[in-house]
Amino acid sequence: MRRALRFIPILLCATRLGAQGVVIAPHAVFIDGRARSGSVLLYNPNTEPVEVSISLLFGYPATDSLGRIVLRTIDHPDSTMRSAAGWIQAFPRRLTVPPLERQTIRLLASPPPGLPAGEYWARLVVAAKGGQLPVTGVADTAAVKVGLTLEVRTIIGVYYRQGAVGTGVAISGLRTALAGDSLVVWSRLQQQGNAAYIGTVQGLLADSTGATRAEFKAPIGVYYTMEPRYAMRIGALPAGRYWLKLKLTAEREDLGPEVLLRSSVARDSVQVRIP
Amino acid sequence: MSRALRCVGVLVALVLAPRTGRPQGVAGQVGIDAEVIGQAIAITSLQNLAFGTVLKGVATTVLPTAAGAGEWQVQGTKNAQVIIAFTLPTQLVNVQALPGSAMPISFTPTSARWNRGINDVTGATAFDPVAGTTGKIGPPANPYLYLWIGGTVSPAATAKPGIYTGAIIVSVVYL
Repeated sequence: MRRALRFIPILLCATRLGAQGVVIAPHAVFIDGRARSGSVLLYNPNTEPVEVSISLLFGYPATDSLGRIVLRTIDHPDSTMRSAAGWIQAFPRRLTVPPLERQTIRLLASPPPGLPAGEYWARLVVAAKGGQLPVTGVADTAAVKVGLTLEVRTIIGVYYRQGAVGTGVAISGLRTALAGDSLVVWSRLQQQGNAAYIGTVQGLLADSTGATRAEFKAPIGVYYTMEPRYAMRIGALPAGRYWLKLKLTAEREDLGPEVLLRSSVARDSVQVRIP
Repeated sequence: MSRALRCVGVLVALVLAPRTGRPQGVAGQVGIDAEVIGQAIAITSLQNLAFGTVLKGVATTVLPTAAGAGEWQVQGTKNAQVIIAFTLPTQLVNVQALPGSAMPISFTPTSARWNRGINDVTGATAFDPVAGTTGKIGPPANPYLYLWIGGTVSPAATAKPGIYTGAIIVSVVYL
């Protein structure tokens, strides 16, 4: 017993875990209102089984007071919110994925009768337990030992499309501020239509000749209204007047055009004075 | 190419295999490879957060840059932006003592770091794990994001001996 106890501190030290996690595909699920079902594949690429639990919640990307993008979750969405979390079910909800094997999670939708046309949202939460600390078999010791296990939750979007759906985005309140060697850009983005605006935001700073002096590009999802903040490194630019041009397109590197809803390009611009 | 990356390829190839009506041939092969990486995500716990043996009455800190820091790897779509959020414990429980024996744990605004594409904490960006952050997955050749977390435990002078443990949950959200 004493011999075994000697190993506990070693085990509690930062030993590398055998990689523990699960591969999830796809990372966004689009369910057609006529089919009312979808699926997600899980694959365990490791040598140990992975315990997985599945749940759904209602949440969407939003911005906090500093313009950071966060996932806003709502436990009890009211009838004005486009929540599908209450009527999409996942099967199974608990499972163990053996090493080098895959499992399918089925998503079945049972929307309420008379559901108006539009897109309804949920988030699928795939929780996988990492390795447990080796704390069993220890009876007594005078030492105080501390360790924490790591768990992972992958949260992917589920989009249920009922009937005719359309989307768009409106830009307002575009403004900038200098912060060190960066230009900070804020804008108010408001979703239009009856579906989320999934796309890409691009910003560029042009000088008086129209040449691009700096730019940024990021994926974005506008579900209601958000005011994201982007910082664009501009370095040391000559003093003068520039134009910040903002553009949102319904295109994404990570999602195929077959699932993205078409929308016209949204643009706005504002003059920037560099002292 | 890492084993995990190959696994993603295998998985999504399986996902895509039953599809019909897509252009086939050489170009189709290339197209599938491109979609493979783009449609899967994997978060892997690489290392638990370990404080080892601590002294009673003495606060002990593990920095995110330390060997004992917790570490995750996120593998996903190249250049994708993700929201990173943590569910953090405030107390660790002694799993050997009687119920009620606990130890506070805390996190500072620089207790976590993330790095795009590279498994190197020294060049990683610090952030507050309580507030979370948004991160960006690496470029096509390296579609990873790495996360580290440290913390501070404050054992009381009267802390009961034994093993104190808890769980940190990291949530990664695709936009």
